Amino acid sequence: MSSFAILTDVTKCTGCEECVLACKVTNETGLRDTPRKWQGAATDLSSTRWTTIARTGNRHVRVHCRHCLEPGCAAACPVGALHTTDEGVVAYDPSICLGCRYCMVACPFRMTRYEWGSANPRVRKCILCYEKITGGELKQPACTAACPEGATIFGARDDLLAEARRRIGDDPNRYIDHVWGEHEVGGTSVLYISDVDLVQAGWPSQLPRDAVPELADMVLHTVPTTFVSVGMAMAGIHWVIKRRQKLAAEAAAATAAGPAAAETVTPGDEEQS
Amino acid sequence: MSENTATNSRLIATKAALWCLVGAAAVVVGVRYALGLGLTTALTDTTPWGMWIGFDVLSGVALAAGGFVLAAAVHIFGRERYHGIVRPAILTAFLGYLGVIIGLLVDLGRPWNIWRPVFQQNLHSPLFEVAMCVMLYTTVLALEFAPTALERWRRAQPVVRLLRRLVLPLVITGICLSTLHQSSLGTMFLLTEGRMHPLWYSPLQSPLFLISAVALGLGMVTLEGVVSAWLYRRKAEWQLFGGLTRAAAVVLGLYLVVRLVDLGVRGMLGHAVDGSGFAVLFWLELALSAVLPILLFTLPQSRGQPWAHGWGALLVVAGFVLHRADVGGISHVAITGEAYVPALTEVVTSLGIVAGLALVFLFCVERLRIWEEPPAAPDLFARTAFDPVGRQYIGAPWFGGGQRAVLALVVGAIAGVILVEAQVAVRERTRAAPVAAPKNALIVRAQNPSGPGHDFELVASSGETPFDAGVDLHPVILIDSGGAERYVLFEHEAHQGRLGGQTACALCHHRNVPLDLATSCAQCHRDMFETTDTFSHARHETALGGRESCATCHVDADAPKSRAAAKACDDCHRPPRPDATLVRATIELPAGLAPGYLDAMHGLCLRCHLQEDAAAGEPHLGRCATCHRNRFDDKDELIRRTRSVARAGGSGGPGLEEAKGMNP
Repeated sequence: MSSFAILTDVTKCTGCEECVLACKVTNETGLRDTPRKWQGAATDLSSTRWTTIARTGNRHVRVHCRHCLEPGCAAACPVGALHTTDEGVVAYDPSICLGCRYCMVACPFRMTRYEWGSANPRVRKCILCYEKITGGELKQPACTAACPEGATIFGARDDLLAEARRRIGDDPNRYIDHVWGEHEVGGTSVLYISDVDLVQAGWPSQLPRDAVPELADMVLHTVPTTFVSVGMAMAGIHWVIKRRQKLAAEAAAATAAGPAAAETVTPGDEEQS
Repeated sequence: MSENTATNSRLIATKAALWCLVGAAAVVVGVRYALGLGLTTALTDTTPWGMWIGFDVLSGVALAAGGFVLAAAVHIFGRERYHGIVRPAILTAFLGYLGVIIGLLVDLGRPWNIWRPVFQQNLHSPLFEVAMCVMLYTTVLALEFAPTALERWRRAQPVVRLLRRLVLPLVITGICLSTLHQSSLGTMFLLTEGRMHPLWYSPLQSPLFLISAVALGLGMVTLEGVVSAWLYRRKAEWQLFGGLTRAAAVVLGLYLVVRLVDLGVRGMLGHAVDGSGFAVLFWLELALSAVLPILLFTLPQSRGQPWAHGWGALLVVAGFVLHRADVGGISHVAITGEAYVPALTEVVTSLGIVAGLALVFLFCVERLRIWEEPPAAPDLFARTAFDPVGRQYIGAPWFGGGQRAVLALVVGAIAGVILVEAQVAVRERTRAAPVAAPKNALIVRAQNPSGPGHDFELVASSGETPFDAGVDLHPVILIDSGGAERYVLFEHEAHQGRLGGQTACALCHHRNVPLDLATSCAQCHRDMFETTDTFSHARHETALGGRESCATCHVDADAPKSRAAAKACDDCHRPPRPDATLVRATIELPAGLAPGYLDAMHGLCLRCHLQEDAAAGEPHLGRCATCHRNRFDDKDELIRRTRSVARAGGSGGPGLEEAKGMNP
């Protein structure tokens, strides 16, 4: 499969939480959620609950890592502990993670969670059962496999986009003509179709328009140029100013020959600092 | 002329306070490493960065900017008259960066991986650039400072001479690295647009950080000169500070223009006058960091006055520390909605790091040639020497610098232990699910307790004296369903008896059922939730008078006694009494018709349970699988499964598999 993606049809979800349970069992995050001061409510995402159901009105919206095509978290990670795999999954390698939590600040959907209670903490989030699927243990993520309603399905992103378009086309009165995740922040691998505006169901209303890493990347591209040009400029200014001081000193020596020259500031003084 | 440091009470008190803070911080940091960040900070999943990043790192780096600014002024731009304050500025910068590294070691969740960026490079990460700059520039600062530290050590003279020859390349490298580093801290916040208030998010974040760092560096060098002059009762270099503040005023003006023009061009200035708290904060920050200092540094009434230098520099420092805090966290509150107030442990740790660095600074000032005129007679960590013949103390007084420091450190550590103890106790509490404890009560059973459901009359709740002792009282338990003051009767004794007496406790109390905080009734009583009719023939028969009552419903004596031929329910059940039910109806029903089980569960019960249970953090009745488990037709099979889960102890192993297998 070229890419890993999930399509969630909000109109089909009954909020049964079988996906939550399957995720917990598969990823061994523990079956209990006992939230502490640093987590949200028991039913919010947490380090032990990588997917959950947001309930708004009478709609149920699955919430988990959106696996952005250009993820802010992976761009933020200084060591690439969070990284995008060839399949488009945003995976995590705790062995090199510093624990700086920049990923948590950089996620536009605020999906990453942290093991605050641990002295050896890890970043926790949905990893689309990546290793279990590539290792052949699972054929699809535990959550999509567990869904009794087929409300959340697994597939290649292009196929799922086509499927989403087909469903919207088949029943235009039911669905809003929008696939959430198709273009937002440069596109995500987790797509949603719905009959209500998802902004009312926990979708961030203030998303950056472009892919998160774009602007920072532009600035970072200037780093070598900045380094070299600042260095050359400083060396140049130093040379010019020293030369002027030297010429001024020589001129002073020429006009008021003798002891006057010795009192003028001469180059080489900086060695005293 | 500066006073002898051994008798300077101002200095002694300051040092004691600093040692005290170091002691407290050391304890807090120890606990932080042992127990993790959650217990020792106010950080949460919503606010993953707090004071340690906002103050120790973001402000720490900026406060250290004086080093490269003054080095540039003297070595590149030939402003030789500032030569005398380059050494303190370099020392401050070096200590500032050490502080940043210490702060990071405390704040990072996995500090033992701090070296990883050297080998695992993510070139797309602004933080990678920051990390490399911190490492490299700290090295450069160490090399710049090394001649000062080593100049009195005769054996190190070749190294000192070499480093002095390398001073220009080092200074230029330092300037390049600082330019990148100061701005890259701003670049970091280009990735966080989604969580920042528009008054602080800016595509020009990098140049804004660089410009403000230059001003802040100038302000910090001035402030540090003023404070150490006060501390050592020495004459400050007012002439030089005058020059620094004039330069700072120009840089601050540039900063102000860039900041406001950027907001104006992007059409965000409206947010600055919308009257919100963030607008107030914005103007407060601008006033503190730029407007007031510019006025103090340039108005003829205050220009060149020592007090104006001191206060102006203090405002610049305070204003830009606030700016870093705003960018790094406070402005995020506008989007995340979660206010973050640093825990006392965080405050103490940050202060402790600053205090420790201040002590090192004072140590260097007293031992090395940092100032052109060093303070007299340093207060050494001298041992008390006692002359047994003369019965007099020789040398240091009986309570010298060393003892004072240790005492202050211990006092601080004790304070730290108390603080951490209180903090951990608060943070360790779980977020309580609002499920009330069961209540004990006394009931009188109704005539036929064998039918389904419970027929009872509540006589007294726990603690009350029953008014009529002549009736047959049964102790029962009322369980609150979701903290909504709606109690469900639970006959504990009857349950225990049915399930096997004293050995049966674990069947309910140690179930460890998925997602449950406590075992719910529905885990066993699945049959109650099957989609069956609500009608109980047996109860109707009893209620209407036994065998003689058939004709009450089966009116036509000739017709077969079937449901189809019986009277309609609403012939008797009319009108229904919606005011008598505890369940709030959320669906429309035809008058006089009771809902069937399916309608009752889906329409009446499920909606409320979904809402209330989610609020209670206990979403078990909302799960479809709670009811729809048709695999267990056989009660014995259900009990067998239940027992195997209970035996496995819940959170793993075969019990887990069993639990998973229970879901159809």
